[in-house]
Amino acid sequence: MTTLSYYPGCSLKTSSSFYEHSLRKILSFYGIELKELDDWSCCGASAAPTINDKITDVLGARNIAIAEREGLHLVAPCSACYARTKVAASRIQQDRETREMVNRAISPLVCTGSLEVRNVIEVFLEYIGTERISDSAVYDLGTVRAAAYYGCVLTRTTGAPPSDDIEDPVGMDIILRCLGADPVAWQHKTECCGAGATITNKKMTASLSGHIMDMAAAAGANAVVTTCPLCQLNLDLTPHLKKDSAKLPVFFLTEIFELALFGAIEWGKRHLIPVDDILKSIGTPGDDVA
Amino acid sequence: MPQFSFLNEIETVSKAGISSCYQCCRCTNGCPVAQDMDIVPHRLIRYIIDGEREKALSSGTIWTCLNCATCSVRCPNGIDVARVFETLRVLSVEAHLATAMDTRLFDEIFIENISKHGRLYEMEAVMRYRLHKKEFFGDADMGLAMMRKGRIGLTPHNIRDRKKLGKVMREMAGKVKI
Ligand code: SF4
Ligand code: SF4
Repeated sequence: MTTLSYYPGCSLKTSSSFYEHSLRKILSFYGIELKELDDWSCCGASAAPTINDKITDVLGARNIAIAEREGLHLVAPCSACYARTKVAASRIQQDRETREMVNRAISPLVCTGSLEVRNVIEVFLEYIGTERISDSAVYDLGTVRAAAYYGCVLTRTTGAPPSDDIEDPVGMDIILRCLGADPVAWQHKTECCGAGATITNKKMTASLSGHIMDMAAAAGANAVVTTCPLCQLNLDLTPHLKKDSAKLPVFFLTEIFELALFGAIEWGKRHLIPVDDILKSIGTPGDDVA
Repeated sequence: MPQFSFLNEIETVSKAGISSCYQCCRCTNGCPVAQDMDIVPHRLIRYIIDGEREKALSSGTIWTCLNCATCSVRCPNGIDVARVFETLRVLSVEAHLATAMDTRLFDEIFIENISKHGRLYEMEAVMRYRLHKKEFFGDADMGLAMMRKGRIGLTPHNIRDRKKLGKVMREMAGKVKI
């Protein structure tokens, strides 16, 4: 049994609560328990840096301090939470002025910046490993031609070492292959989905997310797979943002695990773009898998 | 009037060395929203070097930028272009030169929301933004679809420590009212 600290972030408690559910279920299957940070706060996403650095660092520091108290590695499934926390930790560790400033602000909490931060892909590869993943996949996902979509911030943790190749990450592709799915080769793994601009500049998100969907379809994919809740939501909203773009179901990576391990996903009804075709293609729950 | 101290100001605040830019355009070529910008990224970097403070701080580009950092990871001289634009945004507001205020407005509402609850209360933040903009029906169809699927946070998630967090955040924000 391994225990990791867990920073869900706002999305996994609201618009993507089914991702949290799926993540917990899969990790506990492999004997990993998640211990949610006590009284965690928002990472500030892309809004805090527009106000100033201080507020960004302090928002990061508060969660880092809470996590450091636990002494465990921290997993942050949301790419914004992950990148913000990882970058803040390295800045706090490397820059004495920042470290002193944030510690004054968050006192009596204390943070050093030495925290180890992991994203979901790293957790699967580091704590479970490709062999166990392959061995545990029982349903045949040969029909799932997945476009692994990493999103822009996952590997672009400026100032902190990237978790994968910055331009051509492969971690999720490796996992998908272990699960028996068929990841397609495509060029848009780390293109930006438009992020928070869906509210302030809908046209821009529409064209960016729409393009990603079109490119995934053009590469022969019948599903998009991601680990970031904001990416998932933006892509899942494309039928409302840009009507003529390709409509591929957009799964969380943990849902592909659900398919491979249990032959079904629990919260398909939370998806805006229907996932039924993919589900049907791998058979219904209760099928003989032997 | 060019202000040559501008380059120094930006380099100091952003901690990014801009002077080494040789205008190769890689930042612009990789930028997913360059076509929506009034000044494309490599030009804006050039304006900073040339001391064009006002042009740079009043550009729409810094508000169009999505902070995706494609430019930063591709620059052959290691210039963190995204970080430079982040710095320009802060200075642009301070100098009252900001042009495209929608992003800024939402960012302020977002941060104010966090200072109140500790976590984002999506419904409240989006409604406040729409009220400000007097856009009541723009996304009704999308909002409804999300609501039907349970994809909008309808209730606030207040953290225990929110009063103290709010106080610290307001201190950190300084002149910016949140
Ligand atoms: S990529 Fe770097 S060196 Fe090339 S134009 Fe942009 S900032 Fe200058
Ligand atoms: S960070 Fe901004 S300027 Fe740089 S590539 Fe992304 S959108 Fe373009």
